[in-house]
Amino acid sequence: MPTIRVYEPALCCNTGLCGPDVSQDLVTFNADLDHLQSRGADITRHNLANDPDAFARNPIVMNYLQAVGTDGLPLVLVDEVTVMTGRYPDRVTLTRLAGMADRPDLGLIAVPKASADAGSCGSSGCC
Amino acid sequence: MRFLDDPVRFLFFTGKGGVGKTSIACATGVHLAASGKRVLLVSTDPASNVGQVFGTTIGNRITPVPGVPGLDALEIDPVAAADQYRERIIGPFRGVLPDEAIASITEQLSGSCTTEVASFNEFTDFLADTTTTATYDHVIFDTAPTGHTLRLLQLPGDWTSFLNTGGDASCLGPMSGLEKQRASYANAVAALTDPTRTRLVLVARPQPTSLGEAQRTADELTEIGIHATNLIVNAVLPASAATGDVLAQTIREREQRAIAGLVGSLTDIPHDEIPLKRHNMVGIDALRSLLSAEEETAAMTAAGAQDSNLPTLDALLAELAPAGRGLIMCMGKGGVGKTTVAAAIAVRLADLGHSVHLTTTDPASHLDKTLEVSSGLPNLTISRVDPQEAIANYRAHVMATKGAALDEAGKAALAEDLMSPCNQEIAVFQQFSHLVHQAGRSFVVMDTAPTGHTLLLMDTTGAYDRDMRRTMAPGLKFTTPLMRLQDPNYTHIVQVTLPETTPVLEALELREDLARAGITPWAWVVNQSLSATDTHSPLLRERAALEAEPLHMVEQAASRLAVVPYLAVEPVGIPLLRELVAPPVTSAHI
Repeated sequence: MPTIRVYEPALCCNTGLCGPDVSQDLVTFNADLDHLQSRGADITRHNLANDPDAFARNPIVMNYLQAVGTDGLPLVLVDEVTVMTGRYPDRVTLTRLAGMADRPDLGLIAVPKASADAGSCGSSGCC
Repeated sequence: MRFLDDPVRFLFFTGKGGVGKTSIACATGVHLAASGKRVLLVSTDPASNVGQVFGTTIGNRITPVPGVPGLDALEIDPVAAADQYRERIIGPFRGVLPDEAIASITEQLSGSCTTEVASFNEFTDFLADTTTTATYDHVIFDTAPTGHTLRLLQLPGDWTSFLNTGGDASCLGPMSGLEKQRASYANAVAALTDPTRTRLVLVARPQPTSLGEAQRTADELTEIGIHATNLIVNAVLPASAATGDVLAQTIREREQRAIAGLVGSLTDIPHDEIPLKRHNMVGIDALRSLLSAEEETAAMTAAGAQDSNLPTLDALLAELAPAGRGLIMCMGKGGVGKTTVAAAIAVRLADLGHSVHLTTTDPASHLDKTLEVSSGLPNLTISRVDPQEAIANYRAHVMATKGAALDEAGKAALAEDLMSPCNQEIAVFQQFSHLVHQAGRSFVVMDTAPTGHTLLLMDTTGAYDRDMRRTMAPGLKFTTPLMRLQDPNYTHIVQVTLPETTPVLEALELREDLARAGITPWAWVVNQSLSATDTHSPLLRERAALEAEPLHMVEQAASRLAVVPYLAVEPVGIPLLRELVAPPVTSAHI
């Protein structure tokens, strides 16, 4: 089974669901993640504020941070291959990445993003 | 003193700021040390003044108290504790992760949750870690104002069940740090709920509101499985001092009535009364006298008289009223009478014909009591920012908007996540920001929550401000709530204090904290001044004379000042609030 690792910007809590305006992206991703995990997918999220060690230990993530910076997060790795940057995968994509779609049809979905959305409390310091 | 009978290992003193729990905790430390015990005094109060009481510097590490063999003390500084906590997390990654990533982590660990977690970590060490406290017979906790204490005491229960269920540690920093603490937290809970190890002493003044506060604390503690074991009614005017003077007599009668009127859970626990002393509780000799049964004799000369030159609240408001709008925030430590002063200001401005909205964010609202609900003034409206209600509304709003498209499982998960403690701060702030805006059209008078909470609120405002600046397009005109608070034409900060040394020192510390946020008090109000009365009671006149020094300190610090007299009856209801604003100069001789 593919291992999916999502490296997220520094969110004030594990899910980032807080702050003056809760981010729709994070609400949706959180629900999708729960859904896929309940189906047995191997997905783990790492929050920079909670789990800096996970970032420091992975050379791919370190290189990405050096080159692009935290504004380029989230970074999605599948079996240590970068498949998406700067945004969260939706449920259909996640399902495919997890190898659970009816017709696994995996392509590289790296989409550069103009403005980084760090999430609702990415920079609010709410916690 | 019954609270000193067969003392157990841990002694907690809890009560609103200004009731004298620091003095009593210090005096208890001196008393137990005098009986040959090894005693550790731990202050977790954000505005700790244990050092001030002993005339020395204590600080963040265990320090022997000079002149009291056997007594050591320590002040847990929440800010320093948070710094150390942050460094433990970030330190290992400095030079490993890019600087920008380090900055981003630091920012996330700068908020109120981190401060609370860090203070709590320190606190449990002394309650549970036997290696730190093994050499002491007693550990005394001089705890923070009621709301903060409750949070502090409430956390262990929550956290233990939280950690046992393997919950997701939202807002609490790296899980690894918490896992290590699991045993320590469990021990802390066990100690707190065990009456053979812990004595929890409520401290109150002999006034209905203060005793009501103690009652509420007792009930709230009971709810989370912790039982208050004792009550101390502090600074009771002795019978001997209550003759020949209207004010002294009415104070005495009122206090005795309040004590006799104790109801509910407070009647089930033993209580002690400590008489009002001639001197302030500063220095070891004063502390020794506090718990002794000896009655003091006041000097028979009734020196001094009513100081009619003291500036009134009315004069202060004359400068403010013509604008017809603006935000007036009464700030100060719990127990100094912020609610009363805010209510008096609101009533006066409404009397002058202005449209006034009076509101409070104090979790323990006295507002309804102070105004006895119906104001009778058509242009005065009253509201309350209830933190519980605010968070409920916030959750409902997020669920109805961002959570609308989720399936049932997703909705349940989101609802769970929105329970995190920082969301409450956010929710309260949202209410607050709405009221800040309203002050552009009419007067908004706020009675803010106790100091620590107020500052957290400001911190939230500050973070929001930074966020706004970052996301707004350059050159676009915008105004944030913090900018409103920093604008002297928009916001008038009224710093409320009492004419006693410790409250004034605490007010000066608060002023420093506000200065860091770029906020300057517009005026100071000294509440409950005996100097502003014409009492002839020798004890009360001695107390009035003791006001000279703290009043002088305030004069040095304040650009504007008003002194509010000590009223013979508690200022509940509109007529009495009017008396606070412009006190009638009457003769109270018998």
